[in-house]
Amino acid sequence: MAEPIIKMTGVSKWYGTFQALTDINFSVNQGDKIVVCGPSGSGKSTMIRTLNWLEAHQVGKIEVNGVELHAKMKNIDQVRMDVGMVFQHFNLFPHMTVLENLMAAPMWVRKVNRSDAEKTARTFLERVRIPEQADKYPGQLSGGQQQRVAIARSLCMNPKVMLFDEPTSALDPEMVSEVLETMIHLAREGMTMVCVTHEMGFAKAVADRVVFMDAGQIVEENDPHSFFDNPQHMRTQEFLSQILQH
Amino acid sequence: MLYADTVESETLVHKPSFVVGMLLIFTALFTLFDLTESLFGHLMRPVIGEPSEAGFLGSLSVGFLVGLLLTINVVAIGFVRFRIQVLIVWAELFILFMAFFYGFDLNFEFIRSKIWFMVSQGLVTTLYVSALSITLAAMVAIVGAVAKLSSNGFAYAIASFYTSFFRGLPLLMQVYLIYLGLPQLGYVIDAIPAGILALTLCYGAYMTEIFRAGIQSIPKGQWEASRSLGFGFGLTMKRIILPQAFPLIIPPTGNQFIAMLKDSSLVSIIGVWELMFLARTLGSKDYRHLEMLVTAALIYWAMSICLELIQSKIERHFRTKSH
Amino acid sequence: MITKRYLMGAAAASLMAIAGSAFAGEALDRVMSNNVLKVATDANWPPQSFVNENNEMDGFDVDVARAIAERLGVGIEFVTPDWGVITAGRWNGRWDISVGSMTPTKERATVLDFPAVYYYTPNSLGVHEDSTATTPSDLSGKVVGATEATTYYYYLDHSLVIDGQDINFQIDPGEIRSYPSTAPGLDDLRLGDGVRLDGIIAGFPPLVKAIEDGYPIKIVGDPLFYEPLTVAIDRGDKEFNDKLAEIIEAMHEDGTLTEISLKWFNHDFTKGY
Repeated sequence: MAEPIIKMTGVSKWYGTFQALTDINFSVNQGDKIVVCGPSGSGKSTMIRTLNWLEAHQVGKIEVNGVELHAKMKNIDQVRMDVGMVFQHFNLFPHMTVLENLMAAPMWVRKVNRSDAEKTARTFLERVRIPEQADKYPGQLSGGQQQRVAIARSLCMNPKVMLFDEPTSALDPEMVSEVLETMIHLAREGMTMVCVTHEMGFAKAVADRVVFMDAGQIVEENDPHSFFDNPQHMRTQEFLSQILQH
Repeated sequence: MLYADTVESETLVHKPSFVVGMLLIFTALFTLFDLTESLFGHLMRPVIGEPSEAGFLGSLSVGFLVGLLLTINVVAIGFVRFRIQVLIVWAELFILFMAFFYGFDLNFEFIRSKIWFMVSQGLVTTLYVSALSITLAAMVAIVGAVAKLSSNGFAYAIASFYTSFFRGLPLLMQVYLIYLGLPQLGYVIDAIPAGILALTLCYGAYMTEIFRAGIQSIPKGQWEASRSLGFGFGLTMKRIILPQAFPLIIPPTGNQFIAMLKDSSLVSIIGVWELMFLARTLGSKDYRHLEMLVTAALIYWAMSICLELIQSKIERHFRTKSH
Repeated sequence: MITKRYLMGAAAASLMAIAGSAFAGEALDRVMSNNVLKVATDANWPPQSFVNENNEMDGFDVDVARAIAERLGVGIEFVTPDWGVITAGRWNGRWDISVGSMTPTKERATVLDFPAVYYYTPNSLGVHEDSTATTPSDLSGKVVGATEATTYYYYLDHSLVIDGQDINFQIDPGEIRSYPSTAPGLDDLRLGDGVRLDGIIAGFPPLVKAIEDGYPIKIVGDPLFYEPLTVAIDRGDKEFNDKLAEIIEAMHEDGTLTEISLKWFNHDFTKGY
């Protein structure tokens, strides 16, 4: 078996005296689709943000593409180029058009020439099914459209793995499905994905594994079938009963 | 505009009590000023007789007439739409203002003979010194703002020392310090560069705070999105943060520029022939200082108005561009 | 504002007193090699120096400066820094000479050299024409104006010393009001007797000029003191000093200065009193 794309070994993190992550061991292989869930404040967002080092960890080891992430590293940008990240609040660049948002990183970071960058950008807009919005500004789009642009923006960098940090939590209910469809589509094409989400339907449809976190720890990790039908842990059962009630 | 309620209240200037009060106050004021010798007094000659011998009753009736005219004017303005009101009041104040200057008994022939030089030498110098200074100050401010937001102790310390020092001294003092102090260190600096340097450093310090606030107001998510796409710090600053901060920075920077136009008059003390210097000197031979001061004042004012118009245009441009 | 400017001037002067002095021959070399004499003069002091109809420097001092440059065989250029900056010395080569009717005081002599006296002005007391004052001493206890850091000012605060003259301080003012130049003082005086000022000490020529230009002002009594006025250079350049002394001596002798004085003052002020 090949070397995992992401490997966390004994990772702990503190905010001051508050311990946000405790002894996380976790790895992602090429092609894995992993869903991370858990109650709010359980550390799942913190964990996914350590994977491209938007948050620093203090103890343990994180390797991405075989590069260890630590405070003295010189080439963090190199690592981040290959790790796509989609945020809860989209974080599109409001002063650029949709097309410019997509072309920015390829042109300025990967030094792709303008016409190639535009070609790639239009291809991915086609893939997230909003090619007609190319010349609009993010503020003119709906939330669902913005999130799809954000996904396309990451894809333009041709990442090896995509991280999703609660991508549907800030959306109006009727827009959740269009974003999930895009993500399912992406998963079916074989993209390696780590998704923090409460969308259990999505987990059942595409996940290879579901990770349940609570109080900064990984409580349970299993394939979706076992995870939903036969949760091992008390806290997992409680969480699932709450989330599946409605 | 302030919050406008949907319910309309009665127009203040149409309330009977207010109108009567206004009439009384105006009448009292103009009676005290005793306008019998003025144009109005002469117009009322049939009623009050020879203006110079009219006495208190004469000044009272002239005061009442002027007060009545003014009151009618105010009440009438109350009837028209907002924009028209603004136009009329502006025009009236402007005419009053001009009449005030006219009352100085100025020699307009003298002004006409000097105005071209005041514009071609004075205004041009004022403008180019200010424009150059604000440009350089903006550059200083970007560096200063980044340094002030930096976690590097040296950078922060230098930047905060700089802003503290140059915001803490009167600009006039800075002009002297640079013009007189630098040569003591072996670097002889001419008047104009010294003036530009002083204005740059002083305004750079103020604008550092404006730029810092502008940069800080960009949400953290923009940094995260940019960094997670592989943008380095400099690229993020240049492509993502500053372009978004500029619409926030430009309006206060415009204000700084307008303020600088006027503060640049301080460099006249080191002998730069800008507008203020000419205002002080051109009239000296013929003892026509007031002519030159009033002319320069109007030029400064006209210039500020132009710049305010340009600024509001730029602000509108940014407001329509980003949503 | 006036006080602030005065303080600033003082600060500026003390700053300049820190260091620096010209080397022998340096200024003369600079003038000859640049082929131009850079003259510091006031743009606001008619009829000695002012900006004329053609917006160029003109006046008695300016004509004297031109004559000096001509005799040096070089061109001329005028700069117009504040008077306080000129008198503070330590010019650092910014300009070569001041032809600005400067009184050679002991304090100034510590930073400047005075090659030669080129004329003498009588200085007088001016009052508003409504004033009842008949002698200068009538102004004692009143508000009297003078340009800051000038002999007029020192006359009022009784600190004036002029070599070879016994000065009789006739006025003991209640308040001395200082101005950056004579012009704003005259403008304050014209507002009315005692409105802002009761009197002003100034050169006789500018007072006469103001009266000619319609200012409601009159001159009280005889001149208070005669002031020898010199050109000044930065301290320590003997060659330049001697050269200027020689040129001005010649200008006295051949009547050039008298001619210029008659042109501007209608009097010959170049002979002393």
